[in-house]
Amino acid sequence: MKTINFVLSGLGGQGILFMTKILAMTAQNKGFNILGAETHGMAQRGGSVVSHLRIGDARSSLIRAGAADFLISLDESEAYRYLPYLKKGGMLFANAGARAFPDSKVVEYLDQMQIKPRAMEAGKTAMELGSPKSTNLAMVAFYSAFGVGPLDADDLRATVDSISPGPFKKMNLKIFDTCHEFGRKMNLED
Amino acid sequence: MKEEFLLGNGAIALGLMEAGCQILTSYPGTPSSEILPEVVRFSKAANLNTSIEWSVNEKVAFDNAFAAAISGKRAACCMKMVGLNVAADSFMSSAYIGNIGGLVIISCDDPGPHSSQTEQDSRLMARLGKIPVFDPSSPEEAREMIKTAFDLSEEFQVPVMVRPAIRICHARQNIQYGILESNLTKADFKKEPTRWASTPKFRFIQHKALNEKHLKISEKFNTLTPYNMHNLKSKTSYPFGVVTGGIPSSVVQDLFEEYERIDIPILKLGAPYPFPEKLADEFMDACDKVLVIEETDTVIEYMLRDKRKTLGRLSGHVPMEGELVPEKIEIVLNKALGDCGLAPLSDSDNGLEAFDLVGGLELPIRKPTLCPGCPHRASFYSIRKALPKAIFPSDIGCYTLGSNLGVVDTVLDMGAGITMASGFWNAYIQDDVKKPIVATMGDSTFFHSGTTGLINAVYNDSRFLLVILDNHITAMTGMQPSITQGDRVDGRKGNPISLETIVKGCGVDYIKVLDPYDTKNMIQEVKDAYAHVNDPDGGIAVIISRHPCVIGFKETAIPEKIEVLVTEDCDDCGFCHLRFECPAMVRNEETEKTEINPVLCVQCGVCLQICPKDAVEKV
Repeated sequence: MKTINFVLSGLGGQGILFMTKILAMTAQNKGFNILGAETHGMAQRGGSVVSHLRIGDARSSLIRAGAADFLISLDESEAYRYLPYLKKGGMLFANAGARAFPDSKVVEYLDQMQIKPRAMEAGKTAMELGSPKSTNLAMVAFYSAFGVGPLDADDLRATVDSISPGPFKKMNLKIFDTCHEFGRKMNLED
Repeated sequence: MKEEFLLGNGAIALGLMEAGCQILTSYPGTPSSEILPEVVRFSKAANLNTSIEWSVNEKVAFDNAFAAAISGKRAACCMKMVGLNVAADSFMSSAYIGNIGGLVIISCDDPGPHSSQTEQDSRLMARLGKIPVFDPSSPEEAREMIKTAFDLSEEFQVPVMVRPAIRICHARQNIQYGILESNLTKADFKKEPTRWASTPKFRFIQHKALNEKHLKISEKFNTLTPYNMHNLKSKTSYPFGVVTGGIPSSVVQDLFEEYERIDIPILKLGAPYPFPEKLADEFMDACDKVLVIEETDTVIEYMLRDKRKTLGRLSGHVPMEGELVPEKIEIVLNKALGDCGLAPLSDSDNGLEAFDLVGGLELPIRKPTLCPGCPHRASFYSIRKALPKAIFPSDIGCYTLGSNLGVVDTVLDMGAGITMASGFWNAYIQDDVKKPIVATMGDSTFFHSGTTGLINAVYNDSRFLLVILDNHITAMTGMQPSITQGDRVDGRKGNPISLETIVKGCGVDYIKVLDPYDTKNMIQEVKDAYAHVNDPDGGIAVIISRHPCVIGFKETAIPEKIEVLVTEDCDDCGFCHLRFECPAMVRNEETEKTEINPVLCVQCGVCLQICPKDAVEKV
């Protein structure tokens, strides 16, 4: 199959690696080959953190600038920072307020590249549901609502179900379902 | 069969266990740090008898592994590439002497650099030490190469290096594996002084024997598929070919597949040294021009003898510094293809326009910083408060980030916090200037290479204050246990070593132990210690600033949580977030006052002591 490339970005401490794990495990369970590239070490201390995930039969773990199918970002600034990785026609999912997003300075570029940006206030939603550290999970659920890429929403949800430890399972699934539903409505309106 | 989405370092660990590595030693350093913990995990899960240790430094790790190997066991040591510098003395000697059981050195490179002082290429060290080297192109290949490396090491009785770059170490790949079994080879050291303790006369003979081994290994490397191979069609000549290895070879193969460029042949050299001369000659003979794409230096490029045919770093086609990320490789290929009159891979601008656009957005600069509640932040605050005009030589660890706080003036290598302090003293005292100098160093770095410098400084009567930042852990590289705590990596108890005893043993009489969370006390102690340094009858003073890492000891590091708020007295001076740089203190753009971010705040309460306007209060 053609390799599908995900770039996941955010800040140190936001759980980018956990988000990568949900996508990777889901892909692995479907029998796909997967490759990833992570940020470790000094850059993790409050810095900009990025994770590459490639589903398919690629050899190199890094995604080339201009070759990502999807960019999912846990922070608005970190979404812009990794914008050059998205290919023409790629999709951008950001944890941001829908009204002010995207920044007027990038609108022209997005149009020219036929990149449709989609935003959800995932951090706020996660906090309102009682788990401010679950922004990562919220964004995976939001992404899953658009039915794009090789991973189905049901499979992603099943992964969240299987890897959430007992006391967090109910909360995690609630966040997943709420954010998936938000995305589903947004997708219908499009 | 099990399948895991393994970290590259996990794949290396798996390879070590599959190869029957019995002894593994290491000192942590990005990007190598996860290899040893992954070996612990595999070893425990399969109930193997592997002996695993965090050594005090890389040289110690190397020597321990070497002794095991000459006793007939399979041994490995792993480190980051600058760690190999520390082990270089032993490393250079080891190939002459050779080994009995396989000895594999895993030296992890950091092109970029992402988390290192240099971008040095371990393959050059291998060449200098006359040690055969493998350069994996994927985690899966790294795992396979470890086994090949052990076999080669035993066949030729020579240590072998595997050099994974950071994109192997911190890549992840789904990898399947079967049952792991213990290697039960017993230690059996056979005395042979002319070999194991050889004098220069015998070293000459050993050198000659080593050179003969190299010819044979080079011969073997000519046909060592799939690590070394080309895809030339017989009796075909090509205007252009690519010679590559390691990570760049994966990128090049991906690019040629994506752009369907079967017209360009590739010579992949995953085992570049001793150089597979015949294989390279075949390739050079078939191509009018070749482009060498390797990371990070010019190892293959120098070994290809026909320079007029060769494009690469020396011809200006490949950048001399920085990581060869895929878009850069595409740019390099497009330029070289154009220069050879061939069609480029694409007309893509490789994101250049977008990078320019993003550069103009003035996105927040996210420099790494110490964690909220980090005891180092409190230490640095007090040191600067007490002796603002001092020179601050520092060292390598989380506390290097003290540069943001203006209390780290120099970082050279592990241990240089102390040796540069004595060096600064000597430089100034020659001019009769008693320059205040405060060196900082973490506990793990002090054990790694602090003591020799301290003994030297005491002996030669240098004068400075050394603050040992003792957080009970090696934090930056992923919370490896500290020698002072006596916990070993496999969960067994070790014998803890007291910092105070070691410092006293180095000849220092003035030793104070304190908790940096009490900044008032620390400021006074730093002043008092400096008075001792300055006293003609005084000497070097050492303060052990002791408080557990707030990440490594989450439950116990802050026994008394103090919830704080910022009052109306805040006049937006910014000291707490700009100078003290606590990530939990953020400026509210609307109120133009500082606020506490409750998600980040760990309630250490140190900010109560540092606000210049006394605008932080307990809730």
